[in-house]
Amino acid sequence: MAARPSPSPELSVGDRLHDEIAKLRAQVDSLKNDVRLQTATLMTADSTRQILQSQTTGARPLETSDATKLKLLARFREQSAHKQRCLYRACASLTTFKVNDPDPNAVDGGNVLGLRFELMSKAKFVRPYYVMLNRPYPDRRLLRVHRHTVPQCIPLSGLVARHLPLPTAKDDDDDDAPKKQDLSRFVRALRRELVRYHNRAAVIGDMKKAAGLSSKKIPDHESETEITDISAADAEAKQISLQWRDGRSGRLVMNDDGEVVKMVVQGVNGQDHETVRQFLGGAARVEEVTMSLENH
Amino acid sequence: MAPPLSLPTTARLPSFLRVNPSNPSVIKVLSRLSRPSLLSLALDWLDPSNQSLCPPILRENPSDEEDEDDFESDLYPPAHSLGELREVYASMQTRKGSKREVVDRILEGDWREGLSLYQVAMADLQYLYDHPGTLKWACYKIHRLQTPGHEDDVDAGRSYDKIDKLSMHVPRFHPSTFLRNLQAEVLPDVKAHYNFDRPKGLPLLLLRIFVLDSPYNTDLAVSAASGSSSSAARVVTSFDTSRTIYVAFPDASPHIFVSKSQNAGPTTNAETRSLRALVVEGIPKALSRPRERYTLKSVNLQTKNLDAMLSLRGSGRGNAASGGWSVYAGDKTADARTDSPLNSLLPTPPLSDDTAEEDDKRVAYIGSQEATTTRKRTLDPGVLEEEKRHKRAKLVAQARFGDNMRIDDGKGIERVDVLIEDPFPIYATDVEDEDDGQDAKEARRGPKGRRNGVDASLLEAAEDDEDENPEQHRQGRDQGTNGPGDKRARTTGRQARQEEDRDREKWAWRPNVRLSLHGSHVFAGIRQLVEAGFIDGERMPGWMTGEEGVTMGAIRNGRIKGFRGSGL
Repeated sequence: MAARPSPSPELSVGDRLHDEIAKLRAQVDSLKNDVRLQTATLMTADSTRQILQSQTTGARPLETSDATKLKLLARFREQSAHKQRCLYRACASLTTFKVNDPDPNAVDGGNVLGLRFELMSKAKFVRPYYVMLNRPYPDRRLLRVHRHTVPQCIPLSGLVARHLPLPTAKDDDDDDAPKKQDLSRFVRALRRELVRYHNRAAVIGDMKKAAGLSSKKIPDHESETEITDISAADAEAKQISLQWRDGRSGRLVMNDDGEVVKMVVQGVNGQDHETVRQFLGGAARVEEVTMSLENH
Repeated sequence: MAPPLSLPTTARLPSFLRVNPSNPSVIKVLSRLSRPSLLSLALDWLDPSNQSLCPPILRENPSDEEDEDDFESDLYPPAHSLGELREVYASMQTRKGSKREVVDRILEGDWREGLSLYQVAMADLQYLYDHPGTLKWACYKIHRLQTPGHEDDVDAGRSYDKIDKLSMHVPRFHPSTFLRNLQAEVLPDVKAHYNFDRPKGLPLLLLRIFVLDSPYNTDLAVSAASGSSSSAARVVTSFDTSRTIYVAFPDASPHIFVSKSQNAGPTTNAETRSLRALVVEGIPKALSRPRERYTLKSVNLQTKNLDAMLSLRGSGRGNAASGGWSVYAGDKTADARTDSPLNSLLPTPPLSDDTAEEDDKRVAYIGSQEATTTRKRTLDPGVLEEEKRHKRAKLVAQARFGDNMRIDDGKGIERVDVLIEDPFPIYATDVEDEDDGQDAKEARRGPKGRRNGVDASLLEAAEDDEDENPEQHRQGRDQGTNGPGDKRARTTGRQARQEEDRDREKWAWRPNVRLSLHGSHVFAGIRQLVEAGFIDGERMPGWMTGEEGVTMGAIRNGRIKGFRGSGL
């Protein structure tokens, strides 16, 4: 029977070893990552290319590293292709790619066009949104959304109906003229919606920060007029719900572009117009409200 | 004291309304809970903030000696204060004992005057959280209806119950407004009690609707049926015929999950179904506002697993990208970093990475083989081949299913029904004649005689989607004009085959095949079969990966009809 672990703060030998091993593992991982990063950087450097190509074109054959060279060259090509793609992705914010549908019964031989939307939020690239399109109708070039990763709060179906209409069922034929699909307009509209959504969410985050709600530390002075909660009240992040310490609660509605539409504050005895006036202060956009909050 | 005056009203049942604790359905609600959940419930009820809704019986005057006599023979004498009672239940939490003890204490002791509807609702919800698989949920999508442009348009008799496809509006849901509107939709001879709750760990709002067949919203609704039969031995309260239905509103998703109704007493199946239909009918009206009307449309998804439902119809990115497409929808933080265009490292998609690893492993494997010669002898090429095939199957499964559909991901769908409408696969050499056509007609007519629920909805799905896929019809109509020259122009083999199939469509024999897959996690099971090599993962149709996001559907050309996978 092993001795029972003592309740003292010191860890047992086994635990300490485990900790150490875990630490070393993490170190190894980070070092490996470093190596990979360095290799990637070296691989794409122009001088590397020169060395590699000069050696392959050079008349002096090095019998030992022939295979290695080829491998390196292949790697180099891969890396530079990746680099180029990253450049496009970072600058163009919309890139396309080709996917093959793994479904053996997929339409159009499994050809799928992928759209990749790059967006930035909080000075970082967020995970891109994807829309995959295919052509279900053999004789026509009509596109149809096959798969997508657009969140539910973006009215994708409405955008599709507007810009990528499909031939409708017979009973609808009367009221609409033959509609044309316009992929670029669809893409622009969708990207606009995505960006606006992210901007609205970011504005709410900023407002939170301005009101001092995001930091974990407890405020040193607790005033009655302090705002205790700011959050998005709906999926589209168009409405902001506000809570004051004294029980007032408010709702600020903004439009798609972040302009203040209206605001209502419900106090203990009915609507509180004074607070609304104070809070908005004649601001037309939500950012201005945030700024005035910051200055307080 | 005269009984309070009761008038039939349309108001809802108040939460503080008490139900007689001797009522068998109340006993049933409590006794199906486990002891720990019962105790935590009781402690919740004893919370000072809940005292208006579920006050326990307490001694009025702690110092009064007469009270002592009153409760002397009592098995569960009332406590003097809330704190004392809380201690009693807290101490029960620490020691062992039977569930019966707690139920008795609650029903005959501290809440002998009756459990409020709020308490019953909480107990019911607790049971739901303890046993998440007890309810079957059906998913509905909220669609906006077209708004008539002008008053005169309505008079012209045009139907405006059409879904507004151009709408750029994501339906929004406000609980209290919704409830007020829903109450207005309920008939006056039915009383309902509503309770909202947010389950822990699930991004949805749960509404419990408890329906009673009573015109009153006072004690009369839950007590024994009035005066006339009070002396009768058999007392039927309307509480026994109550029904419960749950509605879940997922966060940031224009969907609604409605559960099948449960009933406390014996009621017929038709009755419960009609209640559900009633609720499903009432919900869009409650969501609607002037000039903003909504309708619900079933998305052919039914499961007992709310987690699975949320992953298919929740607010995340994976709704329309499940199965192998989930690589694009990954929500993990690590994915976000590797996916950034600023990441200069070469991406290692799961598959390419694996193949590289596999090669490495194989090299290592051969190396080790050479080291241990004894093992080398035992391994004949057959075994190696087997090994290779196994690895390949695993890779294929990874490609088709992505990271989804693992047996332990807790997103099991327990039943999938499909109706295969594809013609029987025949080779070009087989010559069909008119008899087959006759057979086909008979086969199609066959099921109409004996439809059950699933069949009906499957057929409905099949018929529904006819108009969603007009191109299919066009194909059917155009095929007469399609000259043979057209056909020769086709290049890829698959397309040519499809064309031929279409040509033969009229005469093809379509056996009436209905496939029903059952299990604790149907798609994980298919994945395991693929991994084990029983299903050829490369030839497996897409709907078997679950990427279409439906549990019921009709299959045409090997695909679920209606392009369900796009989630639009």
